[in-house]
Amino acid sequence: MIKFEQVSKTYLGGQRALSKVNFHIEPGEMAFLTGHSGAGKSTLLKLISIMERPTVGRVLINGHDLNTITRRQIAFIRRDIGMIFQNHHLLMDKSVFDNVALPLIIEGYTRKETSRRVEAALEMVGLSQKAKNSPLMLSGGEQQRVGIARAVVNKPPLLLADEPTGNLDPKLSMEIISLFEDFNQAGVSVFIATHDLGLIARMRYRTLTLRHGQMITDGLNEDEGAWQ
Amino acid sequence: MSLLFKGRSQGASDVRIGLAQQFTMLMVSHLRQALNSLGELWRQPTASIMTVAVLGLSITLPSTLYILVKNTEKISAGWDQASEISLFLTAQTTAGNAQQLLARLSTWEEIDSTVYVPADDALKEFQQLSGLGDAVAYLEANPLPDVILVRPTEKFAGPTAAAALLEKLKQQREVDIGKLDIEWLERLYALLDIARELVSLIGILLFLAVVLIIGNTIRLNILNKRDEIVVMKLIGATDSFIHRPFLYTGFWYGLLGGLLAWLAVIIILWWMDSSIEAFAALYQKDFDITGLTGTALLTMLALSVGLGLLGSMIAVQRHVREIEPS
Repeated sequence: MIKFEQVSKTYLGGQRALSKVNFHIEPGEMAFLTGHSGAGKSTLLKLISIMERPTVGRVLINGHDLNTITRRQIAFIRRDIGMIFQNHHLLMDKSVFDNVALPLIIEGYTRKETSRRVEAALEMVGLSQKAKNSPLMLSGGEQQRVGIARAVVNKPPLLLADEPTGNLDPKLSMEIISLFEDFNQAGVSVFIATHDLGLIARMRYRTLTLRHGQMITDGLNEDEGAWQ
Repeated sequence: MSLLFKGRSQGASDVRIGLAQQFTMLMVSHLRQALNSLGELWRQPTASIMTVAVLGLSITLPSTLYILVKNTEKISAGWDQASEISLFLTAQTTAGNAQQLLARLSTWEEIDSTVYVPADDALKEFQQLSGLGDAVAYLEANPLPDVILVRPTEKFAGPTAAAALLEKLKQQREVDIGKLDIEWLERLYALLDIARELVSLIGILLFLAVVLIIGNTIRLNILNKRDEIVVMKLIGATDSFIHRPFLYTGFWYGLLGGLLAWLAVIIILWWMDSSIEAFAALYQKDFDITGLTGTALLTMLALSVGLGLLGSMIAVQRHVREIEPS
């Protein structure tokens, strides 16, 4: 699903964020990406969503080389990737319903189909009752779930999450992660970047670890990870 | 739609939208965005009214000038046919010679009528009209020549035909100087040409100002919506989808500005009507000012909308591209 081949990223000014990263996440897999702040997690996710381009190497999604994607095509690529952000990126002047409906409106769904899908997505994250509320009236955990509903409303085959549990307590974090597990069960590939090691330790998922821009472990657990 | 996943058969679900449905939804989306943009102007009335007023007034000035020039052309077109030739006879010409000349001229097919003004009559008239009064009485001799006023037939009243007639009249031995009354008209035309050019120049400058004003307003709108644009880009909105609300804002600004300008022109013409009538009365002309015709109004609105769109296009092209999620 996601494949990195010898990917390096050097920012203007010479700061090296990633060096020679290789990994492959299979379709339908759920995996975590971890590492200290500044280890390159965000950069790696940005390469997948084409917010940044690799300096060297290739990033492939479903076998398509993202280097061949033109600027105009980026929007269409992002429609295939449900993205979830630590700071939610919600539109505060629009209702929860409108926020979740946005990807469908962009893609040109009918009103009826949009309503149906938005309601289903809100149902999944347990926010059916708050559709008409402004995101400002919701708690942090609820806002994050609105973000998740928006990411999955057009049923993308791939979910990317950047610190989705960043500001949440452990209980809420587990709820969010179990939502991701539900989507994964339905066949969606899920890739989550987090520095919440406790959260990862409680689960048995493949974990990729970055340090100073290098992939140091890739495996089920940090201790048993192998060098790549 | 999907570039990476054919029909998204690998993903959670298959997404297919028919072409006809895509088109309908594009139209619906356009309508929705157009109304949203209008609603947004409505929600910030002060700012919107200010912008629309600046646009409206910027378009009013060239439009009004254009109408004035057009009307002046209309009046002068009526005068074009009224050319009159003044023949100043030589000092040696006696009244008898003058009558012979008049008799000869009466046979010419180019000439409609002639009026003979002897030097003495001319002096009396001058004394009355000039206001010099008694001063004229001190003159030893009448300095004025006899004059014959020739009015050409309608067919020969046009500027070129009248000029040819003048040449022919000048050949007569009694005639000292011939003057075509059309010369002042030519001067008027020259002035009108300058006025027309001024109107174009002022128009271009103000239209440029309109584009810049709208461009700047839209630029501020874009900067205000920075966060929203970032989110839209992150969830896969194309540039044109993001551009559209701003283009519609430009469209509405242009349309409202154009309507305001139209209203302003009507008021200005109504305001000036009495003074224009007084002016026309000086020339013994019955004259109704023509306001904006249907075509002119449509042109003005189209121009205004076009300028609004142009301004917003420049703004979105430059500034939406600069906003990228990071």
